[in-house]
Amino acid sequence: MKRKLCTLGFLTLALVALTLGSAWAKTIRIGLMCPLTGSWASEGQDMKQIVELLAAETNKAGGINGDQVEIVIEDDGGDPRQAALAATRLTTKEISAVIGTYGSSVTEASQNIYAESNILQVATGSTAIRLSEKGLPLFFRTCPRDDEQGMVAAKTLGTLGYGKIAILHDNTSYAKGLADEAKSLLEKEGKTIAFYDALTPGERDYNAILTKLKSAAPDVIFFTGYYPEAGMLLRQKMEMGWNVPMLGGDATNNPDLVKIAGNKAAEGFMFLSPPVPADLDTPEAKDFMAAYKAAYGNAPGSVWAVLAGDAYRVIVEAVAKTKDTASDKLAAYMKGEMKDFSGLTGKISFNDKGDRVGDLYRVYKVDAAGAFVLQP
Amino acid sequence: MEEFFQQLTNGLAVGGIYALIALGYTMVYGVLKLINFAHGDLFTIGAYLGLTLLVSMGLFDKIGPLPAVILLAVMVMILVAIIGAILERVAYRPLRQSPRLSAVVSALGASIFFQNAIMAIYSPKFLVYPHDILPKTVINIMGLDIPVMRIIMFLTSLVLMLALYFFIQKTKIGTAIRAAAIDQGAAKLMGINVDRVIMLVFCIGPALGGAAGLMVGLYYGQINFSMGWMYGLKAFTAAILGGIGNIPGAMVGGLLLGVIEALGAAYISIAWKDAIAFCVLILILIVRPTGLLGERVAEKV
Repeated sequence: MKRKLCTLGFLTLALVALTLGSAWAKTIRIGLMCPLTGSWASEGQDMKQIVELLAAETNKAGGINGDQVEIVIEDDGGDPRQAALAATRLTTKEISAVIGTYGSSVTEASQNIYAESNILQVATGSTAIRLSEKGLPLFFRTCPRDDEQGMVAAKTLGTLGYGKIAILHDNTSYAKGLADEAKSLLEKEGKTIAFYDALTPGERDYNAILTKLKSAAPDVIFFTGYYPEAGMLLRQKMEMGWNVPMLGGDATNNPDLVKIAGNKAAEGFMFLSPPVPADLDTPEAKDFMAAYKAAYGNAPGSVWAVLAGDAYRVIVEAVAKTKDTASDKLAAYMKGEMKDFSGLTGKISFNDKGDRVGDLYRVYKVDAAGAFVLQP
Repeated sequence: MEEFFQQLTNGLAVGGIYALIALGYTMVYGVLKLINFAHGDLFTIGAYLGLTLLVSMGLFDKIGPLPAVILLAVMVMILVAIIGAILERVAYRPLRQSPRLSAVVSALGASIFFQNAIMAIYSPKFLVYPHDILPKTVINIMGLDIPVMRIIMFLTSLVLMLALYFFIQKTKIGTAIRAAAIDQGAAKLMGINVDRVIMLVFCIGPALGGAAGLMVGLYYGQINFSMGWMYGLKAFTAAILGGIGNIPGAMVGGLLLGVIEALGAAYISIAWKDAIAFCVLILILIVRPTGLLGERVAEKV
């Protein structure tokens, strides 16, 4: 009996100590959902490294209003089904907000799960239009939308003087959305769409598609899919001895594109994208790039991972200013009061739908050395 | 018409790879009635080992492209064969007497293990074979532009397939494999070491898969840890199309699947390419449930 009492006493004591402990050092938990595996794994790994680096900096500087930040990471595998599971797991981990994720179809699978649990979501690379047209009050994104990209694409193709355009997408919600957007804009301008179809991502041999494209004889190919396929297309296009110019959407913005295609095949390839990390010129961005290089030895691969950094900074800013972690308060602050917050990728403000406001897209061209050169 | 033949060559090039991988599925199925789901990942391992050996040994500079490729292929095939044999010993042999479903689960587990092991060892990023190690010459045959490497690749897979076919049909060990495929018990009674036959099957199949991986790496250049899934699925389909358990069937099925895909993409829709290929598969299976050349399976099931 005595022994039982003793144990009970200990347990109570331990419990009290635990509750006291957590009350003392309150930690703010922020979720990060990113593709650590799957074909977009290199994006996800960068997202993780960037957010972890920024969180470590916040904590070193004393946290947010004295509270430490903890990042809770779940892998979405770049796959909608896995994302739904990852989102469900994250909602049980007492997070105040979640960052992520990269692919639009993947984000879409997680949106309602976060919405039902009242968790603020800041997507980073998901540019599909309909994500923010669902009336979810807690959904934000630090990347631009495809309608803006579609507009820039149509404008760019017009300026370059191409009349007969082939559009190729890969049936993901992002790529198809952008392709449809560009197609309708181009048709309105009276351009000929010589070809409109989708490839299957993840394959190695796209010769059948290229042969078909070639027989349509377009002036230019506009490919709205992702970098692994774009790299293969460029490479096999060169091997066929076909010199048609190719323009890519923003998902082709990844240095792996040049690695896959080879410098020779990639030379002259153009793509639309928010500025790549090396072209970011705000002081925040320069400090961040230096810190990132010091920590990991190289520059982050693409701008999408840096947008995850911006998502983190926006959330931290909102928590710091509102001194609260309730999602609706954070959302109200971000929509109403956050104006021209200086992010890593430029000034950040959000409109009522949670979309980032502002003109972000640039045109890039790959040079002979495989570097991405900003076009004036 | 020119486009038709161009697409035909496109299809044959892809189909050659499918066929080579399909052989691994079909051989294992023939002998063990087991679908080796890890086979696609052995193909991936072939591609990665090829890259590692290529980069670390610098063969291309030392002995020139042709001997280098042959030496590389031999090394990759031996290594992947060893991995295949270990896989059989660890994941399948202990389950030989258990229900067939357990072995299938074990195969799926092995597949996940391999995929994650490759990811952990080599990173999840896309890796790229060095550019410009192979000639990029394109020759023009009757108005068709065909890269020389493609012809070599296709011929290599044909040679490997024919070598396997004659090995199985004409040699003593081949006869033992066929005997074990028909009836393991009777084969044992006739003095055939069935365990060794199965081990051998698990060496030959993966070796061919590894060779296919190396070819894909060398020709297409880009490899990543999940590439085996897509190829595995297609090759598995090809094996069924030709009649699973039947070696010439796997070859015919692979080539046919590649051609159907290319022609479907060319004349109907690229986005529906896979759907078309699978519709053809279903149609063929309705007419011939055992696949194009398969007969034995119907008796077994």
